[in-house]
Amino acid sequence: MLLKSTRNEFIKIAAKPRSYLGLVAITVLVGVILFALKADGMSFISFVTSSFEQTLSFEGNILNGNLVAFIVLQMLVIHIPLLVALVTGDLVSGEGAMGTIRMLATKPISRTKLLLSKFIAGGVYTLFIVIWLGIMAVVVGKTIFGSGDLMVLNSDGLVILQDADINWRYIGGFSVAFLALLTVSSLSICLSCFSENSIGPIVTTMSIIILFTIIGTLDVTIFDNIKPFLFTTHMAAWRSFFEDPLPVDQIRQSVVILLVHNVALILISLYKFNKKDITS
Amino acid sequence: MDEKVIEVKHLAKSFGSFEAVRDLSFTVNKGDVFGFLGPNGAGKSTSIRCILSLIKPQSGEVLLFGKSLATHRGEILRRVGSIIEKPDFYKYLSAQRNLEIFARISGVDSSKKDIYKMLDFVGLNGREKDKVGGFSHGMKQRLGIAQTLLHDPDLIILDEPTTGLDPQGIIDIRNLILQLKSEHNKTILLSSHQLSEIEIIANRMVIINKGKSVIEGDVAQLLNAQELIVNLEVDYAEKASAVIAAEFPSIQIQHIEGNRLLVALDKAEIPGLTKALVEKGIGVFAIESKRKLEDYFIKIIAN
Amino acid sequence: MKHIIKIALICLLSLQGFAQDANQLLAELTAKMNSVKDYAVDALITSDIPMVKILPSQATIYFKQKDKFKIDSKGIAIVPKQGFNDIAKLLSQKDSYTAMVMGNEVMNGTKADIVSVFPASDTSDLVLAKLWIDPVNDIVLKSQITTRSSGMVTILYTYGAQKKWGLPDKMVFTVDVKKFKIPKGIATDINKNSAADANKPTAKTGEIKIDLTNYRVNIGIKDEVFVK
Repeated sequence: MLLKSTRNEFIKIAAKPRSYLGLVAITVLVGVILFALKADGMSFISFVTSSFEQTLSFEGNILNGNLVAFIVLQMLVIHIPLLVALVTGDLVSGEGAMGTIRMLATKPISRTKLLLSKFIAGGVYTLFIVIWLGIMAVVVGKTIFGSGDLMVLNSDGLVILQDADINWRYIGGFSVAFLALLTVSSLSICLSCFSENSIGPIVTTMSIIILFTIIGTLDVTIFDNIKPFLFTTHMAAWRSFFEDPLPVDQIRQSVVILLVHNVALILISLYKFNKKDITS
Repeated sequence: MDEKVIEVKHLAKSFGSFEAVRDLSFTVNKGDVFGFLGPNGAGKSTSIRCILSLIKPQSGEVLLFGKSLATHRGEILRRVGSIIEKPDFYKYLSAQRNLEIFARISGVDSSKKDIYKMLDFVGLNGREKDKVGGFSHGMKQRLGIAQTLLHDPDLIILDEPTTGLDPQGIIDIRNLILQLKSEHNKTILLSSHQLSEIEIIANRMVIINKGKSVIEGDVAQLLNAQELIVNLEVDYAEKASAVIAAEFPSIQIQHIEGNRLLVALDKAEIPGLTKALVEKGIGVFAIESKRKLEDYFIKIIAN
Repeated sequence: MKHIIKIALICLLSLQGFAQDANQLLAELTAKMNSVKDYAVDALITSDIPMVKILPSQATIYFKQKDKFKIDSKGIAIVPKQGFNDIAKLLSQKDSYTAMVMGNEVMNGTKADIVSVFPASDTSDLVLAKLWIDPVNDIVLKSQITTRSSGMVTILYTYGAQKKWGLPDKMVFTVDVKKFKIPKGIATDINKNSAADANKPTAKTGEIKIDLTNYRVNIGIKDEVFVK
């Protein structure tokens, strides 16, 4: 029954025009970034490397597909949550607003399975978004700009990663980015369980992300203790895959914290959804 | 002994300080078309939501097919089809897709043929591929009934199925329900405030008011126990009034207007009265029974 | 007063003598350099620069008289901005500098004359070039180039089979890195705060080692090769 319900959720997501908004937005955004980098990418790179270039000279194809994909990811990962929440925030409350939740809840499927099917569908949608972002950033980026070594600027300096050493990092990076976006999906579905309208959970999800991001950015001592536990702090964890040596402990910590968030959000949602009186 | 399909025992549900349902009990037997009557705000929808576990009651027990929904949810709901208030569908999907979705989680994998057959049964043939967003209220009601029947349930719960329909729509839905009863032998719980509907369709009923059941029983028996109000159309109303007063003291004349008399009488007195009037040379053009249930309902609720 | 004039004259004469020595040394060095019309060589570049992490990279270096120079690398390679062919470039224009022998020093058992080269122009980026020249083989053993833009770059040369052309087998660059800055807002690392980074000791110089093998000298490299 869980699989059947999940299939239903896929059909519903696939039929909603807003589901394609994310894919279109990514295509346009990545397109604009690729165009800008193609037109004037070197000046963007110079901005990063200017202090090094007084002494050192960088030889080889620096502005290659790997760097372009990295720049795209860096620029977009913070905006993708909105595209995810736009669809996932509507999964429960949208049914409430439409009245179809009443129809679903009187069918021979437990509320737990019904909600889990929505989490699975939301997760798969998020995966699609991440894969599409990957295709647009890495595949299209490499097609236009060619491959090459990747120069990454971390807070402790430049890291140059060899071309052959990059693909697995992207796979790892995209996996962690997916986990971070999955947390956004879980958060919005959880909020969706508390709401009867579609917009509320979407706006609340974005507000939480903005608030947590601000807390994470502020260099204020009182926030230092909570920063490591905010999921937004770990939304940039994909970048860790582009460090050398690989900060395994840091990645593990991020993965664990994101997983704990997901499990907690799913449990809260299940509790609320099972207790909820459907009055719509 | 009748097989009990729905048993509601001392059901109570409050929303804050408002007691929507209090100590409600009734039983629906197999094969019943059970009328669930009550004025607006009586607690009909809340009770039905409790029966289907959309709402958790504060106290009381609901058994469907002798089992509790809390422990046998899947098994029970596989045998139940329902429309609560109004059928809502995914507007962006076609009628066929909507039915596929609901059939799938009802535990049946309906073929395209089954779905087309069902849409034909409810009079929506030719509209299978149309998006539900463009459907009228009546079409959605029909689609709702198709949705309740897809998995061939034993019990059908219809909450106000004719609300907002035009006269033709009401007749269509009524005929559909009668067909379900006569041809498919379904047990039907029909909540409505369309009294004529219940009077025509239901064999048993419960009337609830302010969240409590006021009376429950066989529709015919409950109504037969009451005196009849009829409209008598004659050629000489004054003369007819004098005959009734002289020969039928038990018959009460309530109102005279033109050639019409409104009288309260027992059903058995009608042949005698007609005969007496004709023998006295009074022409009887029509004897119309006024809606009994309407009066009965108002009386019950007023009390 | 006579004594002072005498001393000054002696100094002037000796300075002139040093300048003549230096010009002689540089002329011989330039002659040797000019015997190489062009060359291509495979390079293995190993960098140890603070704030820059890069694995050894392979490249091909092309040179053609008088100042055509290109590094062809499949991946990214980091080379010093200054010091690669700057000496050849500088020495190719005799009027653009003044040179003077400042003494000598024994390097790895070889006696080297230390020649300081001053640019004639005040506006030139080059402030001072110091060359340790083996006068016997006419090769540079060490150079130290100070520019306004890059600070000081020191290069140690090791020679092998291509000594006769004056081409080294190995060059070790020591560069100034104190000017390196990470633009704020570009790099965002999680779990790191500014306090932790500020305490990190940073070295002030970095080292780039270039191993040069498979020299192909005077093979007639076409100009197109140098088109970027």
